[in-house]
Amino acid sequence: MMIAPVGGAKHRLLPSCSTIALLAALALPMQARAQSGNPPLTRAGTTISNTASATFDTGGGSQTIDSNRVDMLVDELLDVTVASNNPTDVPTTPGATQQVLGYRVTNTGNGPENFVLNTVNAGGDNYDPVVTQIYVDANGNGSFDPATDTLYTPGSGDPLIQPETGITVFVIATTPGNVVDGNRGIVSLVAAAKTGTGTPGSSFAGKGEGGGDAVVGLTGADGADDGAFAVNAATVTLVKSAAVTNQLGGADPVPGATITYTIVATVAGSGSVSGLAVTDNIPADTNYVPGSITLGGGGLSDAPDGDAGDYNGTRINVALGTVAGGQTRTVTFQTKIK
Amino acid sequence: MRIALIVLLAALTPGAALAANQVALDNSVFVERVSTDAGGKQKILLEEPKVVVPGDRLVFVLNYRNAGAQPADKFVITNPLPSAVRFADAGDTRPLVSVDGGKQWGLLADLSVPMTDGTRRAAQPADVTHLRWAFRNPIPAGGTGKLMFRGVVK
Repeated sequence: MMIAPVGGAKHRLLPSCSTIALLAALALPMQARAQSGNPPLTRAGTTISNTASATFDTGGGSQTIDSNRVDMLVDELLDVTVASNNPTDVPTTPGATQQVLGYRVTNTGNGPENFVLNTVNAGGDNYDPVVTQIYVDANGNGSFDPATDTLYTPGSGDPLIQPETGITVFVIATTPGNVVDGNRGIVSLVAAAKTGTGTPGSSFAGKGEGGGDAVVGLTGADGADDGAFAVNAATVTLVKSAAVTNQLGGADPVPGATITYTIVATVAGSGSVSGLAVTDNIPADTNYVPGSITLGGGGLSDAPDGDAGDYNGTRINVALGTVAGGQTRTVTFQTKIK
Repeated sequence: MRIALIVLLAALTPGAALAANQVALDNSVFVERVSTDAGGKQKILLEEPKVVVPGDRLVFVLNYRNAGAQPADKFVITNPLPSAVRFADAGDTRPLVSVDGGKQWGLLADLSVPMTDGTRRAAQPADVTHLRWAFRNPIPAGGTGKLMFRGVVK
């Protein structure tokens, strides 16, 4: 059943058009803007057809006629976005290899498209990470697995991305050996539609999915985003000093005098050092004083056992393990002059 | 059997032709292309597209004409919206719309859409599936008019 008529041509606008209807018409643009969520893009190669119909009565009963049909082919829109998967700088160390940055490459167009991948050493940083490989996340788990993921080969291996889906791409880089603590190195991943890129609206005749044209979208059919490494390096400084006490109550290095060696290891920088060990040979013409090793004031045994220290007959060794920047470790031991 | 069919067609054809001659409904679609001239001024051009891309703004124009000698009463124009087009607005033509595939009709502001949790929300332009213009007064002999609405290629 028909509700109160609200349509009208210019020559017969109806006075019955209610204020509500007018308000509704005015409110339309605002509602359109308030619209949330994007429906899926119409796929390239789809035909959009429109036909209207009119029903009327000229005295002989109700009749219906159709309008002509208008067909429009949907062309392929070339669009892509790239976004770094690393919201913060990825820590690295001088000379480190197989350093990984992750990116999400999303085909925001409406047709399947191959994308050419490239890296650029962007400015605004302290050093250029040396990119060795690009991998495509083959199993979609978002983490780099060299045994599973696909090594990118330009040309034949340009990944095919379905419309409105994304892939994860890993950039593998080596950190130069001469970088220092706090340095940043930026790598920009660039993805470009293989069909072509350009100013939005430019088109490639016959290159679209489904036989139509391929039209460059608002992204220009290419995209890029930066990922960054930050060098977390640490330096170790060792300072050794010796103090002599003799049996006469003085400080002269006479036979029988005891020498106390103090070794201070200072770690500086934002990183940490691992496997740090202090080793010192017992000087000639002296004898090691058994049980004299200390670490941070606490005694350590000479046997290579559970504690950090040992003496093997020619040298002392204290394993400090991993020490973070800003910390110091103090080791002492004693010898007697022969 | 074949003869009977031909006779039947012959009987139907004049009537259909007559109806087509009495009232005509012409449908055309334009795409709004925004171009910027050398002076930086934006110009909106309406082009008749053969091809479109998602995001294109389409203008649907329906021209009707009563070429018959009798007024056309109970005149209703219905346009099912192509599924790949999101309704935007209908200018000042104030159509009735349907948001459920043509089952129920009303002003957009009066319609609602069921949600998955059982509640209903107010209908939005993007929910529109059909547009309809129902005329209270007959279209007089020789009367013409134009309706339009806008949509966006999804």
